[in-house]
Amino acid sequence: MTNQTTNASKECSKFQQQLPEFFDSEVSMSDQPHLKTCANCSALVRDLEYIAVQAKLLLPIHDPSPVVWQNIQSVLTKNLHNDEQKS
Amino acid sequence: MKNTLRTTDANAPAAPVQPLTTEARPVQQHQRRNPPIAGELTAISQAQQGDGAAFEILYNMHKRRVYSLCLRMLGNVAEAEDLTQEAFLQLHRKISTFRGDSAFSTWLHRMAVNVVLMHLRKKGLQLVSLEETLEPTQEDGPRKDFGTRDLTLSGSIDRVTLERAVEELPPGYRMVFVLHDVEGYEHNEIAGMLQCSIGNSKSQLHKARMRLRSLLRQNMGGRAGA
Ligand SMILES: [Zn+2]
Repeated sequence: MTNQTTNASKECSKFQQQLPEFFDSEVSMSDQPHLKTCANCSALVRDLEYIAVQAKLLLPIHDPSPVVWQNIQSVLTKNLHNDEQKS
Repeated sequence: MKNTLRTTDANAPAAPVQPLTTEARPVQQHQRRNPPIAGELTAISQAQQGDGAAFEILYNMHKRRVYSLCLRMLGNVAEAEDLTQEAFLQLHRKISTFRGDSAFSTWLHRMAVNVVLMHLRKKGLQLVSLEETLEPTQEDGPRKDFGTRDLTLSGSIDRVTLERAVEELPPGYRMVFVLHDVEGYEHNEIAGMLQCSIGNSKSQLHKARMRLRSLLRQNMGGRAGA
């Protein structure tokens, strides 16, 4: 029993170590043999895929404060004056 | 389940030496997510001729995206505003060099990313930790006795929760996560930006997602216990 558990967690370690590559490969996750037998790693993969999908839905929601444009404008005006003085 | 996490081959050579034409290049994910805005082309060409009002139009079209990008990368409002300003000043200086090889937003966002990275390098922040190896599941991963199946994230997180969890990521993790998963850059592009290897970018992204999972699950646990 103990031996079996150790083997199983070894399999999990091995699988999880390769995960970054698996996510980025052409091979579909569902074809990974380990996932057919391991509920823990399946749940892990589902979660990580879910996070990546949700991240794509994060839209820009904040506008910068109006001060940002005011600062940009004042720098541009100053630059313009400097250019005029030079020429 | 189909692997949905990738779109193009990140192992492709980083910089194919080819003339850059819009048609011949594969449409990057980043570009697809940033379709051209009505009136943008006119504003660009007017701003290129020094029209201040047109530049202001461009600012208003793009300020939200650029600011959000800076804010997510930096996690700090004051710095994000400073660097948004810096990015648009740089845009003003360089807009005459924009040739339309890529979408304007792609070009501008890349400029903003570079401004942020330059700033972080000046501050001496190590963007990608090279020594850290990917330790499988000490605290982040599933444990056998944990009843993982009952605690799947799927369907449980809203944007605000995810946004908050992203803010909690360590800077190096957050950077790669924002660039890849939120902004849609490929690993080879990120490797170029962060001056690290593609493998490093992949492992950093993985660690970021693992950390997020752990943060989000804590959040779920907290809610369930409350
Ligand atoms: Zn497993």
